[in-house]
Amino acid sequence: MMMEYFANLEAGLQAAINNGNASPRKLYALEIARLGKRLYSGQDKVAWCGITAPFDLLNAMGVTSCFVEFIGAMLASTGTVGTFLEETDHIGYSSDACSYHRAVSGAAIKGLMPEPALLIGTTNPCSGGLAVLENLADQFHKKLFVLHIPQDESRENVAYLAGQMRDMAGFVSDLTGVSLDPERLKDVIGHTNEARAIMAEVYDLAKTAPSPLTNKELSNFGIVMALFLGTEASVTIAEAYRDEFSRRITENSVDAKNEKFRLLWIQNRIQFKNPIEKLLSDSYQATIVIDELNDITWEPIDTDNIFEGLARRSISIPFNGTIQNRVKHLQKLALEYNVDGAINPCNWGCRQGTGARGLIDEGLRAVGVPVLNLEVDCIDSRKFTEGQFRTRIEAFVEMMDSKKA
Amino acid sequence: MGKSNFIGFACAYTPLALVHAAGFTPCRVLPNVDCPDQAAQLLHDNLCPHVKRILDRAMSGNLPELEGMIFMNSCDAMRRLYDAWQIVRPDVKTIFVDLPVTASESAVAFFRDELQRVAGILETWGGTAITREKVADSIQQYNQLAESFGRLRHTVQNGGVANGPVMLQEACNMASCEVPEKAVGYLETLLAKPGIQPQEDGVPIYLFGNILPEPEAFSLFEACGARVIGEDLCTGSRLFKKIAGDTSGGTCGDILLDLAEGILSGQPCARTFDGSQPGRLARDIVAEARSRNVRGVIGYTVKFCDPYIARLPGIREALKKEGIPFLFLEGDCTMRSVEQQKTRIEAFIEMLR
Ligand code: SF4
Ligand code: SF4
Repeated sequence: MMMEYFANLEAGLQAAINNGNASPRKLYALEIARLGKRLYSGQDKVAWCGITAPFDLLNAMGVTSCFVEFIGAMLASTGTVGTFLEETDHIGYSSDACSYHRAVSGAAIKGLMPEPALLIGTTNPCSGGLAVLENLADQFHKKLFVLHIPQDESRENVAYLAGQMRDMAGFVSDLTGVSLDPERLKDVIGHTNEARAIMAEVYDLAKTAPSPLTNKELSNFGIVMALFLGTEASVTIAEAYRDEFSRRITENSVDAKNEKFRLLWIQNRIQFKNPIEKLLSDSYQATIVIDELNDITWEPIDTDNIFEGLARRSISIPFNGTIQNRVKHLQKLALEYNVDGAINPCNWGCRQGTGARGLIDEGLRAVGVPVLNLEVDCIDSRKFTEGQFRTRIEAFVEMMDSKKA
Repeated sequence: MGKSNFIGFACAYTPLALVHAAGFTPCRVLPNVDCPDQAAQLLHDNLCPHVKRILDRAMSGNLPELEGMIFMNSCDAMRRLYDAWQIVRPDVKTIFVDLPVTASESAVAFFRDELQRVAGILETWGGTAITREKVADSIQQYNQLAESFGRLRHTVQNGGVANGPVMLQEACNMASCEVPEKAVGYLETLLAKPGIQPQEDGVPIYLFGNILPEPEAFSLFEACGARVIGEDLCTGSRLFKKIAGDTSGGTCGDILLDLAEGILSGQPCARTFDGSQPGRLARDIVAEARSRNVRGVIGYTVKFCDPYIARLPGIREALKKEGIPFLFLEGDCTMRSVEQQKTRIEAFIEMLR
């Protein structure tokens, strides 16, 4: 089912691009389809990972790697997630857990998770994600390497994580028979740095008022691009976005009237088809100009100290450390992108993210940014009640409007 | 020494011996104290009641006077509790201790350095130097306490003490807010009391889970016909565990490394595991149940605890494969939530008779 889905997706996107109907989002989606195909091909050495794993390092070692939550998101976007969530109900996997993880577990029960060669767990961002990787390792009888991501970037912490990543490379090598080629790694990290620089330009362009992007264009972008880092494709995708946004700005093709409100989206988007983004743009002229995870929080990686650079990058994800760090980052984004409000989807089951709902609220209010907390399950479309969301959004927009007046 | 002698803690992984070596009394802030429900102002409804009730206590001022509070990075919920605590109780100093999830060599070394950092902070709080000898002495005292608890638990679980399970939990709660030397003395007086004829009429049960500090819960189990003859809880047997290594107080060896290793490699709760042995928790529970020859297993966890939520299907499956009956209970750190499940417990025990 999944192989067919990704193959059809790739074919459709490729045909559209060949017919001159290319767009940055299509290039990005094409790469997702290709990754999906590789994961399900049965040919590649696959690693199921946590979100903060060093995917470029794994790419350099010829391992097709992906964070497990990606599958949860895919199942949600294809509208099939309900069946998989029901599977987890049958085995007593509480519906109080994050649905990304329940969906993945359901997929594993249904035999829909490709057998990995190995697994890499990360302690960040969440306890639930790490637990699912342990369960998958148990189910597939495969080995799991755990990266303990420390809470901050102190020198000892960086050295500790860099050491773990070196051990991880040894672990991968033992299991795949492929050793890490230092020259290849340098090349890969070269691509990582190139993509990083261009992505930073893309995010900078998004700050322009009116913003050159539409509400959908950069959804999930930062978190998914991490999977492609180190590849030429990541550079191509980032360039496509940069060039398109630059063109829109220089050609003045964005109508300022369509951007009455600028919004910050906290954490992840809602992964199933839903009318919120369209409602915001079409009915309220509200543009999501920045997503929390669409930011470069790490320095270019020094090719003479690659593991230290990779460690710093994993530590720097805004979900790591105390909520003060995260709030500071959100405040910085709110000010840099000059937003009028923020939307926090509060994914049910996410202790690390929505657990801090009140603290985030307070932090953003302190810089004059109101927050709309939506109580939503970002994966489980069956729980989505459109009318309720419309009412909440309408009230929030009215409030932003009265603030502006 | 400052205004009080208590250092609060909320997790069984807290390095109690270090707190004690600094001249403080570790004091567990338990969630089972009645306070107005206010935590939701800062923490989402989906956070575990363990952390929310501790925050309720902090917001209501329903705490002993604390010199400081230690938070372990045990899970997402605990991190959020630490964050919220900064806002509601800025008057109580805090230490946030990063806690690896495995006991690999590098993780133990990292945790050892964390303990050194903690020791440095405790020294400034207490004004007393923490020497190797002091740490060794404290470890020995806690080992002694673990040993006394081991003996008491054994006697109680064999049915040789009247109202034993309730008394055992009361002793555990008391010891979690007392220096080990006093707690050991108290346990020894309990151990010296004349025993009763061992009771054999309850159905032997193995109990595992996380936060169950209410002594009344244990009398409820008894009233339902269960005899808990083995237990693995954060507020029970996992709290005081023996630390191995050279704790003789000599000058050789790295005492903090021993302490780090002892804490990380003790009986794990669901948040700690070994990547090379995935699913071990389920196998351990089966092995414990088998070795004690129990007739059933009860799992008790507080709601919204991700580390346990994710492992429960595997535990359920492993017990089923072995033909060991299993009852899972979920609570919210109130006795009411346990009592509401009385009929289920009774039915389960009845089925096992
Ligand atoms: S939504 Fe939260 S709990 Fe779920 S995968 Fe993301 S960080 Fe983890
Ligand atoms: S009960 Fe579970 S979620 Fe709550 S603090 Fe303990 S480990 Fe964390």
